[in-house]
Amino acid sequence: MTNPISSDKIESEDIDPQFTERIVEAGADRIRTCIQCGTCSSVCPSGRRTAFRTRELMRKAVLGLKDEVLASPDLWLCATCYTCLERCPREIKVTDAIIIMRNMAVDEGFMLPQHRKASQKLISTGHAVPIDDANRKVRKDLGLDELPPTTHSKKKALRDVQKIMKKTGFKKLIEGQAEEGA
Amino acid sequence: MTTSDPKPQTETAEDAEVVSADGEPRIGVFPCACGKNIGAVVDIDEVAKYAESLPGVVFVQTNRYTCADPGQNEIQQAIKEHELNRVVVASCSPTMHEDTFRKAVKAAGLNPYLCIMANIREHVSWVHMHEPEEATMKAKELVAMSVAKARTLEAQQELDVPVTQAAMVVGAGVSGMQAALDLAESGFKVHLIEREPTIGGIMAILDKVFPQNDCSICILGPKMVDVAKHPNINLITIAEVDEVSGYVGNFNVRVKQRPRYVDPEKCTACNDCVEVCPVDVPSRTDQNLTWNKAISIPFPQAVPSSFFINPDACLGMDLIRCGKCIDRCEQEAIIPSDREKIIEFEVGVIILATGFAPADPNKVPRLGWGRYPNVITTLEFERLINAAGPTEGHLVRPSDVSKPKSVAIAQCVGSRSISTRTGCSNYCCAESVKCALLIKEHYPDTEVTIYYQDLRMHGKYFEDQYRKAREEGVKFIRGRVGEIQQYPDTKNLRVAVEDTTHNKLLMVDYDMVILSMGAEGTAGDFPLPISCTEDSFYIESHPKLRPVDTSSAGIFICGGAESPKDIRDSVIQASAAAGRASIILQKGRYPIEALSAKILQDKCTRCGTCVNRCPYGAIVVDGTGKHTVMGALCQACGTCAGDCPQDAIYMPNFTNEQLHSQIEMALKENPSEKIVAFACTFCSYRGSDLAGVSRMQYPTNARVIRALCSGRYHVQFAQKAFELGAGAVLYSGCHLPADCHFQTGNHWMAKREPRIRRWMERKGIADDRFRVDWVSASEGKKWQGIMQDMAEIVEKHKKTKPAPKPKRKPKAKSKPKTAAKKTTKKKATSKSKTAAKKANKPKKKQSKK
Repeated sequence: MTNPISSDKIESEDIDPQFTERIVEAGADRIRTCIQCGTCSSVCPSGRRTAFRTRELMRKAVLGLKDEVLASPDLWLCATCYTCLERCPREIKVTDAIIIMRNMAVDEGFMLPQHRKASQKLISTGHAVPIDDANRKVRKDLGLDELPPTTHSKKKALRDVQKIMKKTGFKKLIEGQAEEGA
Repeated sequence: MTTSDPKPQTETAEDAEVVSADGEPRIGVFPCACGKNIGAVVDIDEVAKYAESLPGVVFVQTNRYTCADPGQNEIQQAIKEHELNRVVVASCSPTMHEDTFRKAVKAAGLNPYLCIMANIREHVSWVHMHEPEEATMKAKELVAMSVAKARTLEAQQELDVPVTQAAMVVGAGVSGMQAALDLAESGFKVHLIEREPTIGGIMAILDKVFPQNDCSICILGPKMVDVAKHPNINLITIAEVDEVSGYVGNFNVRVKQRPRYVDPEKCTACNDCVEVCPVDVPSRTDQNLTWNKAISIPFPQAVPSSFFINPDACLGMDLIRCGKCIDRCEQEAIIPSDREKIIEFEVGVIILATGFAPADPNKVPRLGWGRYPNVITTLEFERLINAAGPTEGHLVRPSDVSKPKSVAIAQCVGSRSISTRTGCSNYCCAESVKCALLIKEHYPDTEVTIYYQDLRMHGKYFEDQYRKAREEGVKFIRGRVGEIQQYPDTKNLRVAVEDTTHNKLLMVDYDMVILSMGAEGTAGDFPLPISCTEDSFYIESHPKLRPVDTSSAGIFICGGAESPKDIRDSVIQASAAAGRASIILQKGRYPIEALSAKILQDKCTRCGTCVNRCPYGAIVVDGTGKHTVMGALCQACGTCAGDCPQDAIYMPNFTNEQLHSQIEMALKENPSEKIVAFACTFCSYRGSDLAGVSRMQYPTNARVIRALCSGRYHVQFAQKAFELGAGAVLYSGCHLPADCHFQTGNHWMAKREPRIRRWMERKGIADDRFRVDWVSASEGKKWQGIMQDMAEIVEKHKKTKPAPKPKRKPKAKSKPKTAAKKTTKKKATSKSKTAAKKANKPKKKQSKK
């Protein structure tokens, strides 16, 4: 894809032995029993339309290829439909593992710009999708207040929400990375 | 199961004993130097001198090699001259020479169970090589412990039961047939029970069998005839075992035979009846792919070669309702009055060859079997490709009877999946490769693809077949079939699977898909308690060393009933089972474990705890609620006694009284410095012996007590030891979950641990002073580590103790060596007990702080 003659190898530095352990501890407890049969990939509705191979992601997770997994855009191609989890012969919590790895990715600073933007919106307005002019107009036409009775119109509520997001570390997670990313 | 007692026990003739075990104990102690093995570390003479002072000891003699002939002669002479009625040999481990000395005393007329050993080599001289004084002290105490136990030993009878020299084999597939033929050829009467109207099992309906791809019925047919013709085989078809009672050598069997409605003696299999029978029934042999009549024969080579009537389908065997077959049969073979028969007989051994069942494809609905006609199972394929099958050997699509141009074979259906069966079914990889080759052989142009996740072509000649399949152009793609969809118009199939070797999702069309079905266990409905795995296969007595024995003596397993396997392995196992069974039959008598448990009826409250503990089903309850142990089933693990709340179970040579006397003696001196370590016979004690043999040094304060199985360790033992002020207590057994020689003893012991810990908490005894650990016979190093760790714990608690307290016991320390030793000693013992209790009290406060 990138360099057609690049050597495609894994070296010890690429392997984080703790990575799988952390996934297991976070709840995807059977991931190590994966036999790479490919059932997950073959039933994945996302995989039918993209190059996303669930099995490959599991493989990399079990190998401990932390950086590769967390930086991979594949991680975000799962639609969390849970079909793979339902069909896995080893009853591995595949979808849960993907969500766990997504959380880890964000912690490490890997985040799609779209997701970050939505999160920033949430911090500044209290809504992931804040009201826009079109919606204001619709509300007006319907005889409603221009702003709904949410953080949009209640400044105190917005401050409360922001307080929560600060306390929980969400703000730092998003804005801290915004700075790094910038 | 009925509750008949094993009464036909008789004493074997030769061992008429002359020395009585009754009366005052007259104990002889024989400390052995074992050359320098013991003598170089332990002062044997001092041990001997000390032994003389012990109550009940009337004779002591040291020897350089007690196990050699002169040493054994001295013991025998001493028994006669000094009228000894108990013998304690202080030398090596009892696992080494207990048998030797027991035989020696038996020859001198003493009951062999009145001889025990004190292990002063593996447990003393070899593990305390650099501390001769402490080692000598420990040796003395071990002798004292054994003498204390010896005082209450009782004579035990080695009994045996007569064996009925006949066998029952349940299931007449290829394994059952092989086992029956082997036993019959050895000259034993065999009752062979088969549920179906014919023998042959699954093998009879296969086409070709791997890896040579020879015709299945061609090799099985002659064997079936052999079974039918063998004078020693009593073949009972359409029958199931209804009830079995008794024990090894003496099983009473009741078999229910359903009516066949056709006399097999008269029936010539002429097929006339079929021509007139008006009722169509799906053919079981042909996997419901075609029709049979209500009167039918499973297949032409069936044995017995006789038709049978399916009573659920038949309109009625009289001229009013139908009766056409009766009218037609020239042999007058049809018996409308046939009824269910009860057949009863006695056998000495039982072989279970009940086989497996093909897995149910309905359990994997996403593969579409049952909804999509062109998705078939391997067994359906076998019938389609079989010249005797519904299509006379032409592989066709069930939807339109056309020849498939592309076939996919999906592996591991019903196997290796938690939702169906977790295990690998063993034969399906080779089966599928064979199917692929058969297709290629019949239709070279048909494309065949095998979707596998791990191809396990592990058997002899299998790899050749695999290579041949590749040469023939069979495609192998690594990936498990995720789902199958059908095109509604053409009934073609689209298979979704990932080619995991290069990350590509395949959505490929096929004319036909064969599901390579695994096996399902069928074990568990036999009317005797034989333990089964979670997926209903019988569990062997030992996975390596006793693979065809079950935990019940006299009952053996083979073939698909034990685990999914191919024909060759089934036959091997069947012969093995027949061989094992014939050992019992040949001898004519079966020895009963001399140390089997006995229930003391005056103490027993009939609570049923022991019935639940016994892994052998040896404890039975009769109609009046009375619990008794069937000696022929008991293996003497003592797990029942370990949990009996009433102390109502007597374990010969390992009674509560005897074990308590060993604990008391171990803790007579300086109890707070001692570790009382319980070790089971087959793992932990041997582990401790290995530490000795490997000369692994550890502190001298452990006193090991050998006690059958860890299941024997009663909660009381630890309590007693702590009450006497023991520094620490160890309960050691075989590793969890499955190492226990007696199957479940270690689990029951583990369940007692929290009870002991709660009790310790109440009594204020520090938690780390009790340890439960698992030591295998190969873990001498682990044993050493445990001993070192526990010695440190003992040391820690000794230090935290108020200094003067433990030194209050010197009264107990002074050894009375006067003529009136017995009385003074008793006083001293009781005082030492109270002293120990006193010493225990401040400890409680200490640990609470």
